[in-house]
Amino acid sequence: MRRHIIATIFKKEMREVLRDKRMLYLIILLPFFLYPVLFTLIGSIGANQQEKLTNEKVTVWLSPTAEGTPIQALLIQDSSLRVVTKTFVREDLDSLKKTMGVLLPADYEQRLAAGQSAEVTILADQSQDVLDMRANILARQLAAVGDQVLSQRLTDQGLSPGFVTPIVVTNVDLSPQDTGGRIMASFLPMMILLFIFIGCIYIAIDITAGEKERRTLQTLFTTPAATGEIIAGKFLAVAAVGIVSATMNILSLVVAMNIQVYLLGGENTSFSLQLTPEAWVWLVILVLLATLFLGALSLAVVLLANSYKEAQSYVSPLMMIVLVPAMMSSMPGVELNYQTALVPVFNVALSIVTLLKGNFDPVLLGVVAGASLVYGILALFLASLTFGNENVITGEKVNFKMLFKR
Amino acid sequence: MDNLIEARGLSKNFGDFRAVNKVSFTVAPGEIFGLLGPNGAGKTTTLRMLSGLLKPTEGEAMMNGFSMQHQQMDARRSLGFLTGEMDLYRRLTPREVLLYFGQLYETPPAELHQRVERLIDAFGITPFANRYCEQLSTGQKQRVSIARTLVHDPRVVVLDEPTTGLDIMASEFILQFIRKMAKEESKALIFSTHNLTEVERLCDRIAIVHQGDLVYLGDLDGIKNQTSTDTLAQAFFELVKDDVAVPG
Repeated sequence: MRRHIIATIFKKEMREVLRDKRMLYLIILLPFFLYPVLFTLIGSIGANQQEKLTNEKVTVWLSPTAEGTPIQALLIQDSSLRVVTKTFVREDLDSLKKTMGVLLPADYEQRLAAGQSAEVTILADQSQDVLDMRANILARQLAAVGDQVLSQRLTDQGLSPGFVTPIVVTNVDLSPQDTGGRIMASFLPMMILLFIFIGCIYIAIDITAGEKERRTLQTLFTTPAATGEIIAGKFLAVAAVGIVSATMNILSLVVAMNIQVYLLGGENTSFSLQLTPEAWVWLVILVLLATLFLGALSLAVVLLANSYKEAQSYVSPLMMIVLVPAMMSSMPGVELNYQTALVPVFNVALSIVTLLKGNFDPVLLGVVAGASLVYGILALFLASLTFGNENVITGEKVNFKMLFKR
Repeated sequence: MDNLIEARGLSKNFGDFRAVNKVSFTVAPGEIFGLLGPNGAGKTTTLRMLSGLLKPTEGEAMMNGFSMQHQQMDARRSLGFLTGEMDLYRRLTPREVLLYFGQLYETPPAELHQRVERLIDAFGITPFANRYCEQLSTGQKQRVSIARTLVHDPRVVVLDEPTTGLDIMASEFILQFIRKMAKEESKALIFSTHNLTEVERLCDRIAIVHQGDLVYLGDLDGIKNQTSTDTLAQAFFELVKDDVAVPG
């Protein structure tokens, strides 16, 4: 294989890509606009909804037995509640919007005074989002009132608060990643693989089926460029676009998420990749190997199509090959071992999860890298067989039985 | 001088269908050879076998003494091939297209740049040499395509219907260039067309393919004598009459 011929084909393909506004938009501009806009939109809708649920005026029917109690005072103090003291039963609240009830037993004060428990019932239709949220808030407020009563009782008995909580359990998270990092680890592998695939598939279609449709592929096969050189040049272009697509998308995604966190005032949570240098090296190796496999697979498959339209019908099944294993990698209990390390795509997704979680095994990652390399070379071999088929070159209907006949 | 093109018993089967059956001919340096036949006769398949795009089921294609089957790279270096099924890269300029193909033929850079400029000048491409090919007219594209075919200075040139879709001025320009190229530069040229007037003007010898078989090989006078007709058109119809539906 002559490197200068491969370089010539690669440079020509990249020149065409850089002049294709649609492709540039897809791999560079779209990520920069899509995620900030999408996240800002989702964030602002979410924030508005949260504010609405918290501050919207809600009516609370309070049983007369609550009159004069700290509970009544607590509810009246809350400006987002309209407190109505009245006698009611549970059925009276049926089909009422934004209205909930609080029932206190008739002997509420006496039971507390006697050192007993008094049951306070909150009645709310929790299928209504606003009532669901306010019932939960109210439950926490009432529990705080109960804590005050308990504290007073313990003081009266000369006991410390520790008397009723003999064991205090503290749950310390030893994960090297913060919450944001863990969220990233759960979906980033899928996003990386998906964006590599999206980047690869569209240029693969353009330089194979697209070239057939535009009638430029045959010309190339009448030159002294060998089939291996043609496919190598085209494959490098597909891989380059796949990697650029993945990098741009991931960077934009991380930046957009952090902007969103900042705008929402969550300065304690950040979405960042806290990886060791070794993990970074592994991540780069795995991304390159995933690109090798997905790029070669995309080329091999879409080359069978004679037109853009036909090639696009192959995209959905191919995308499932990427998406399903990538999604499965974030399922609880699924882990990287010597069996899963041999499953294409799935192994890379699982490896990225372990890298992001910071608990990776270099030997297992080595197995994944080796397996991915083998699958990549096989996919490339498949692509070269497809490329060498005369029906594929001349744009005739592809006979699948004769596909690999040279 | 040795023949530059040799088709040696070329046959091609597509499944059970025999598209081309033992077609043999030769083309000498400086000769313009017309390959004629009705649609579906096997012309394109023959040309594709000559160019190496299709592998013959039987026979061999030789270009400049190199076998297209066994010395493909050398054979391809000797060949400039253009059919109606070949278009230009939309997002490259004519100059870039010519440089790209010159590089694929491993033409030395200094020589390539000179040759590209010479072709741009010879084909009148200068006014649109830096415009994207997708913005060119059919005639302009065809000039660039033929220049692309010649960028590596091949000894053998195959042009399949090079004037189809062109206006009379563009056609005339290309026909004159073909004659000049073959006669002054001693290239062997296969010219395939449905336009028999062009054949009469240009071709030294012709071959007629009909239903995959070579039904005539010889000069223009020979076909008229063989068929006892006065014109090439009449002779052609006589040889392929199975395919010609007579009205009424």
